[in-house]
Amino acid sequence: MEIYQFINDHLYYNRPDLEINGERFNSTILFSLITGLKKGKELIIGEPGLGKTTSAEFVCSLVYQFPLGIIWGSEVSGHPEQTEEKIVGRPDLGKLNRGEEDVVWTNFSQIPAKIVDEINRLPETKQSMILDGVDRGNWEYLNEMIINEEYCLFATANYQDGGTNTIIAPLVDRFDVMVESRYPGANLSFLIGKSNRKDHILRHPKYERELHRILNSKAPYEKKIPLVEEVCNAFGAYVHETVGVRPLQGRDRQQIRQEMDDIDLEQDASAFTRMLLAELSFCDRYGQKRSLETCEEGCHYTGYLCHEIKNCASNRLPISIKEYAQALCWLLEDSEVGMEHMKSALPYTLAHRIQWKDEILSQKERSKRDDPYPIFLAKEAVKTVSQRYREQSEHLKDALAVGSKIFQGESLEPLDGDHPLYTEIKKDVETKRPKFLKR
Amino acid sequence: MKGTFSPKKRLAETHEKETQGVRNPFEEFQAFTFQETTLPLDQIIESTELVMDQIRRGYEKLLEEEAKELVWMVQYNTIIKAYEVAEKHVREIDYSAEDIEDFCFALENTQKIPYFIPGPAGLYISALCNYAKEQEILLKLSELKTEINLIGFRLPKGKRLVIEGDAGDFTGIGLEGGELVVEGNTKNWTGAGMRGGKILVKKNIGLHTGEWMMGGEIYVGGRIRGLGNIVEGKVFERDKLVYPGKARHPNLYY
Repeated sequence: MEIYQFINDHLYYNRPDLEINGERFNSTILFSLITGLKKGKELIIGEPGLGKTTSAEFVCSLVYQFPLGIIWGSEVSGHPEQTEEKIVGRPDLGKLNRGEEDVVWTNFSQIPAKIVDEINRLPETKQSMILDGVDRGNWEYLNEMIINEEYCLFATANYQDGGTNTIIAPLVDRFDVMVESRYPGANLSFLIGKSNRKDHILRHPKYERELHRILNSKAPYEKKIPLVEEVCNAFGAYVHETVGVRPLQGRDRQQIRQEMDDIDLEQDASAFTRMLLAELSFCDRYGQKRSLETCEEGCHYTGYLCHEIKNCASNRLPISIKEYAQALCWLLEDSEVGMEHMKSALPYTLAHRIQWKDEILSQKERSKRDDPYPIFLAKEAVKTVSQRYREQSEHLKDALAVGSKIFQGESLEPLDGDHPLYTEIKKDVETKRPKFLKR
Repeated sequence: MKGTFSPKKRLAETHEKETQGVRNPFEEFQAFTFQETTLPLDQIIESTELVMDQIRRGYEKLLEEEAKELVWMVQYNTIIKAYEVAEKHVREIDYSAEDIEDFCFALENTQKIPYFIPGPAGLYISALCNYAKEQEILLKLSELKTEINLIGFRLPKGKRLVIEGDAGDFTGIGLEGGELVVEGNTKNWTGAGMRGGKILVKKNIGLHTGEWMMGGEIYVGGRIRGLGNIVEGKVFERDKLVYPGKARHPNLYY
């Protein structure tokens, strides 16, 4: 939280737009920080010049102890002419002339904090290349490969205009969260204009030169990492000394991740997430949601989210939800992931993944709101499902408990209820029950 | 070996082998002690059904006493007597305004209520309205196929009864100071014998309007088909005072 506070107070001025357990946060900094800590992937949207890239740079610098100069030098900027050679690596031309094959890796592929500016200006093939690399941590060029042990991705995107491509659905799904870097308001904006740039706080020419030298050296990647870490630690100590905030060392990050992973989910948080996932994937008629199939007229489940959306929730969604909710819980120093953590993390993990039906989009388009439309719709959806959960949480937990007992071999009947999750429980249980017990 | 194991037991054992190593997706809820609980909606439905049964029984008793041969003549004495019987049954029931509306619709359902005799039914509904806890009652009856007669009978002072839809004959008769609003049409003898209060009919009204009315006001948004013999009170047609004034009685068509 020290890093969050430092960025909020000194580097990125903006209003809080998220309240969790009575504490107010700015969603852009908060989720960027979690992305850095959890090795996540974040999509930052917003109008040009409202701090999308800057916020990511500050977070990366403080979480990974890289001076800003290195972060800037490793950013990939999105434009249609961008090539694999500038993103991943290029042949070593000197060696090539001598008939040898070797790869010069880019800083982007080598350092753990990866920022892609204006990803939607990249052609879809290049977007896919970056996300594939980030998905697995493997960067391949010619016959060589480097493996990133630790990495996170921040991609910024402007709203659609003439110069942008769309980010296709499978690629969008790879992002864990989407946040908006919004206008801070006239007064804070004026303050930003009035005050001097704060970049110099996180700059150090000597360490930047040193890091450049190591990253551009011909040493194998595995040997570069400890050297990079050494310089980063020195830069971290410098930042701690000069501004009072301690950036995170490699072992700190590892320990934090371990602590986050060890946090358990409360039963309510688990049941609520299952309920939401059921609504985002259920189709009574066709077995599951599919983008190419349309809902049946007069379907019994018309009131649920499945009737309002086109696509099916992916398996990446529950991973993002759990990871970010655990991280929120850790940051707030709570003992277990509860409903509040889930409800706070959910809209940002859902916003970019849900494809709403056109009629829903046109219905709510003019609603009064503070958030960008996809985040607003996701927040509304989470509110609706949480209302439904409040009404039937006990019965739902009973149904899940009965499911567990049937799974263990007890001869019980699955509970009935008016929600897709009851049907899902029945489907799971039916496949595990001996045939002679099936009705 | 035959007879050593029952086929069911063998199947269960096979199943046990099959499921070994399969992860239980509900593991987290293993320790959750579930109780047989009823959903809030079930409880609401159950209590509503209970109240509806009581209201239905009251109505059936009224029919048993007042319309033994399933014929009921609208006469001064029969109305008074039937209303007294209705009052007696209604007082014993704890119900809400929503239950009254449900009862109105149940009257049309022959499976729930076998006999719908308009006179006693209207008086019974009036008694339900007059003894309801709520001061203001809204009955959404526009979907009802038949108009209910005698609705608003003796509506007391301080009560407001709003009917969405049309009402039948003898609407608001004997009104005792309450306010009856009909957001539709009413038929003949509306407001007959009323002593005080207000009747507002949004659309048109039938013949004998305000017959023998002793006080109060009738406001009609549409047209009045005919006025009755009015003793005292005021009748307005489209904001225009038609009684007292250029009297058009009895049943002068215009």
